[in-house]
Amino acid sequence: MELNEALRIVFSGLVGSGGFALFFRVRKSRILWATLGGGLTCVVYVISMKYFDHEFFQNLFPALFGAIYSEVMARVTKSPNTTYLACSIIPLVPGGKLYYTMYYFIIGEMDLFSEALKQTARISAGLAVGIITISVFVHIVNHGKFKQIYDIE
Amino acid sequence: MQETKKCTGEVLSLAMDLGKSMVKCGAEMNRVEETIIRVCYAYGMKRVEVFSIISMMTVTAFDDEGTDYTQSRRIYAYSNNLGRLEQLNALSRKICSELPDVSAARDELEKINSEEKRFRLSACIGNCIAAASFTVFFGGCWRDALASVPIAVMIYLMNAFIKAKGINRLFFTALCSALSGFFALLFVRIGFADNADMIMIGDIMLIIPGLMLINSIREMLCGDVMSGLMRLIESLIVALSIACGFAVPILLLKGV
Repeated sequence: MELNEALRIVFSGLVGSGGFALFFRVRKSRILWATLGGGLTCVVYVISMKYFDHEFFQNLFPALFGAIYSEVMARVTKSPNTTYLACSIIPLVPGGKLYYTMYYFIIGEMDLFSEALKQTARISAGLAVGIITISVFVHIVNHGKFKQIYDIE
Repeated sequence: MQETKKCTGEVLSLAMDLGKSMVKCGAEMNRVEETIIRVCYAYGMKRVEVFSIISMMTVTAFDDEGTDYTQSRRIYAYSNNLGRLEQLNALSRKICSELPDVSAARDELEKINSEEKRFRLSACIGNCIAAASFTVFFGGCWRDALASVPIAVMIYLMNAFIKAKGINRLFFTALCSALSGFFALLFVRIGFADNADMIMIGDIMLIIPGLMLINSIREMLCGDVMSGLMRLIESLIVALSIACGFAVPILLLKGV
């Protein structure tokens, strides 16, 4: 990938996450960190696009990064991790692929449709696996503590 | 004796209203259930049982005499309001650590919940920035980005003024997508922008339930199969209605 294109993706991803941070009404003091999360996720995305051909891995690593970043920032600023996760992950949501999937379906190009659908599924799977790996891990640690304190099953 | 009973009911009621407000801001079910349990235990209850799916929650709490109290809440609409979620989270931390009077805590909860304005300039601008930069992100040029801004404003206004009136969500989403697609094609037709598909993709990012989809999978793998499934099915249906909405202008105008 050319440097120009990489810069375009990182920059527009950064600004876009900032837009979504405003749209989700993230508090003023957190907007900067949430936006930065989106930008850094895009950097990881660009790097993993360079080294992997498969959409699953291209999206797995940035999702892992975004999830770790949001967990860390949630601990640092004592706020729900959704605040950061939502803004960090949003550039990876396969809006484009989803659009082409339904576009090909509508105009009746079934071969292109099934190819786009498979790509969308691979991207979503990469994203979901990346986020879940981290959040399941955090959940196990947190919930273990929680169960000990409150003695519930 | 009578005093404590009244109090237990009030505490439970406070915990559940807090939980309901959190669900309405887009919190995960885990967080909500934990908050309710924490608040109830903080005020000295001995056992708390929570069951919640996305549109309904019911809690039974036992106080130290073994009397049980059950309340339930029905949740109709939810959206993303991460700032308020954070305030609610901070409030629940404060309640658990400082144990304020129930009525004082309730006042604070009402104060957080009452900060509701229909139209927020910052959210509207955020919408525009997001649409414009995702148009560029997916490969549009700057003219496409510019063209996506009025459509983003339209989507925001529809969200703020029409959706609030309780119109069927699927119909609303389809209408929103159809209008966006129509204007995107129109802008290209009059020579204002170059790529209609890029404009549409940028604006789709605003209505697509991507976060909901990801949250649903997260919830299912964390053990909340019910809420996860409900969220998953809802987000798939919304995606379908987006597709139906965009189909109309594409079929009507693309061939012309």
